[in-house]
Amino acid sequence: MRNSVANEIKKVAKQDSSLFVIAGDAGLGVWDDFKESKQFINPGVNEQLDIGFGAGLSLMGHKVIYYNIAPFVIMRPYEFVRNDVCYQELPMILIGTGSGITYAPAGVTHYVVEDITLASTMPNLDIFSPADPVEAVECFKYAYKSKRPSYIRIAKNGEEVIHKDKIDVTKPIFIHKSDSKNILILHGSIVDEVSKILKIVDINIVSVPMLTADFDWAAFLEPFEAVFTLEEHFINGGFGTMLRDRVEKKIHKFGLKNEYIHKIGNRDYLREYYEIDGKSVGEKINKMSK
Amino acid sequence: MKKITTNIRKNILHIANLALSPHIGSALSCSDILATLYFDVLRLEEYENRDLFLLSKAHSAMALYATLHEKGLLSKEDMEGYYQNGGTLPAHTDRLTNPYIEISAGSLGHGLPIATGMAHALKLQNSGRNVYVLMGDGESQEGSVWEAAMLAPQLKLDNLTVFIDRNDLQGYGRASELLSYEPIDKKFEAFNWEVLRIDGHNHEAIKEAVETPTDKPKMIICDTTKGKGVSFMEDELIWHYYLVTDEVKAKALKELEESLDEK
Repeated sequence: MRNSVANEIKKVAKQDSSLFVIAGDAGLGVWDDFKESKQFINPGVNEQLDIGFGAGLSLMGHKVIYYNIAPFVIMRPYEFVRNDVCYQELPMILIGTGSGITYAPAGVTHYVVEDITLASTMPNLDIFSPADPVEAVECFKYAYKSKRPSYIRIAKNGEEVIHKDKIDVTKPIFIHKSDSKNILILHGSIVDEVSKILKIVDINIVSVPMLTADFDWAAFLEPFEAVFTLEEHFINGGFGTMLRDRVEKKIHKFGLKNEYIHKIGNRDYLREYYEIDGKSVGEKINKMSK
Repeated sequence: MKKITTNIRKNILHIANLALSPHIGSALSCSDILATLYFDVLRLEEYENRDLFLLSKAHSAMALYATLHEKGLLSKEDMEGYYQNGGTLPAHTDRLTNPYIEISAGSLGHGLPIATGMAHALKLQNSGRNVYVLMGDGESQEGSVWEAAMLAPQLKLDNLTVFIDRNDLQGYGRASELLSYEPIDKKFEAFNWEVLRIDGHNHEAIKEAVETPTDKPKMIICDTTKGKGVSFMEDELIWHYYLVTDEVKAKALKELEESLDEK
């Protein structure tokens, strides 16, 4: 996802001289062929400055992209994002890499499992969690045209492409259609658990890249009996919570337990530990559907 | 200029009294800097090519509102809607309220990072426009100020001028007793800024400092007196918060009018 988005940004930059990228001393190799451009700066390790500086460029008419590891995009400079970008209604694009527990076992300082909760407090900030490189590029294209601020949280690089056809990021995208009366809604890179889930249970599965899309969820979910959500984020405060607020139908949420992670291990290990891996989720859905 | 700054101070007292809002001392402290900028420095004739002024110490917003009114850029009605229910202007600035209010501010340490981005954008656009920022002295305790202070000289932003309203009275005391920023001039010099230190109530000194040529970003440290122009408010901490009642207003206005007669 990371390289796909960066390549798209570099492509757009050639056509749009107002585009400007601020990389907060992150992204080894990603910007090597762009770092000498006048449209790029790496001002070092200073997240408050990055956001304020970007807001200044944006006020002068530039389309500004701020790229950093996700904890340093929303959490560290939260009040600068709130006051300088969102309150001032600037269409900046914030891109955070290493969403969820991608960087496990780096430790909690490098996880972002509560960023959707924080981002959701800013009423005009659009939030995207693309699942694959195709969704990531389409989310960027949407944000690039938008007049609102955007936050795109991506995992890392090398994710499998799951979409072969053209997609619309403002709507749920079917990954698997079934005769089942149940549906599982995925938000973000957890989509790579799908094959393991389908080995255990046959269920409709959709990916939702844009959390804040103005979409009629009640009408969409009306035909389904049981609705499940799965995300690599705290179970309370993420996509599932947002959906619960928007529909009357019962939503069964799968996510990380709201607690600080002291357990050491890679992403797959921690997904299993917190039972959001495909096998655990498939078995739970099976049990709950009976 | 004396007439202009007196009018600005009178209107600050006027709206502080209408609103019964705090921060009168902070607004009076920077009135001379704002008057000089708006009447002698900023190029505002063509809106699209105007110079930019950012009030980073936005708790002094009354001074900006009164100055914009004096300059004819803010109506009396809008100025008097300051701090009122259903009014026009908040206690700290909102850029959507007036086309000459460049940023929404109020939380300290935001103005300089934004100004650095603006100045860099103008360089990229080969524009001759300048960016001016007014910070409080206590504001220099914010870490984000020093993040921007490191970057601006590296980007060679000679189109950026910053004023520090050094009245040595912040919210709850003197910086020297809380967390001293001194020697503030040496610190910015070490960060490779052009640093000047002047009397922040002297119009000629302010203008001269602005016009001093340099190829670096410029820091003008203005020695000021909080509450300047009203003797019983001068250098008194309480006027960071105390309200301008009818009685206070009458006493202060009398002093300001009498000062106009002094030559």
